[in-house]
Amino acid sequence: MNLRGTLPTLILQALDRAPDHGYSIAQRIKTSSKGVLDFKEGTLYPALHKLENEGMVESYEEVEKGRPRRYYRITESGRAVLAKDREKWKNVSRAINSLLGESLA
Amino acid sequence: MEECIARHQFSVRGVARVNTLASWLDRATRGLSTESRAKVRAEIEEHYHAALEEPGATEQSAMLALGDPKTANCQYRKALLTSAEARLLRESAWESTLFCNSPRSARFFLPLIMFAVAMYFLDAGQFRMAGVFAWGGAGITLLMVARWLPIYTPARGRIFRIVRWTWMLGTFFIAGFGTPLMWALFPTLVWVPFYYETTLSSIRRKLPVEQWPKSLYL
Repeated sequence: MNLRGTLPTLILQALDRAPDHGYSIAQRIKTSSKGVLDFKEGTLYPALHKLENEGMVESYEEVEKGRPRRYYRITESGRAVLAKDREKWKNVSRAINSLLGESLA
Repeated sequence: MEECIARHQFSVRGVARVNTLASWLDRATRGLSTESRAKVRAEIEEHYHAALEEPGATEQSAMLALGDPKTANCQYRKALLTSAEARLLRESAWESTLFCNSPRSARFFLPLIMFAVAMYFLDAGQFRMAGVFAWGGAGITLLMVARWLPIYTPARGRIFRIVRWTWMLGTFFIAGFGTPLMWALFPTLVWVPFYYETTLSSIRRKLPVEQWPKSLYL
């Protein structure tokens, strides 16, 4: 299922638990959603750069297996935005569920 | 897609991997600045090698997971500086140098001369010309004292730019907007600063505030 515009929220959610690098973020999103939320991994990094420009994530470098690896962690303002997005999503999904006639799980 | 990738693979695995990822990167970094291209190459190569470390992964599956380089390029252009933006950023440094580092005599005497000419025209009864020089002198005074103004925060920089644009449009109106010649020249006169300002706005969105040079506030 293609849900445009939700990738930044999914990235913030993935980073909420712990800092991580790009590849691992992509795998975490795909496995947590059991493959329902799929996206092309080439678009992950532009979304990460945008979040970094807006101050919602920050990046740092660590050496792993002799190779430098860029890690990302969520900031306080990123957490605030994530909390707002969660609330918005709850309201939207509640509204859609009632329109489609499904009861809330 | 798989057929397309397979067609470009050669018999030597090492060459095939470099050529396939290289052509993906070449397309995905098109139009980006040198620094942006280096950033993209580093992160995509890191991602690609991490993908290959997965059990059962192949170069083909790693390339497929990256997706369309054109889509990635479109997204990258919204998040990172393009080559045109990097060039404009370098060139806009002349403006901040002019405003912030001009000689004291220019900063002091140029506005005074403008106001003196305005007084001359006012005395001669030529109110429009007096208005043009007085308005121009006020604007130049504002730009020349910019280095001392506390405008180097995003919010204050925005206010300064609104004031500056008001001054620019005001100059145009006072100078003779309404005449057929001015109507004809208006798109040409406004287009260049408008393009300049929209490109600088794009750069402001892409650079963290800590990395803004002074020219981005003006």
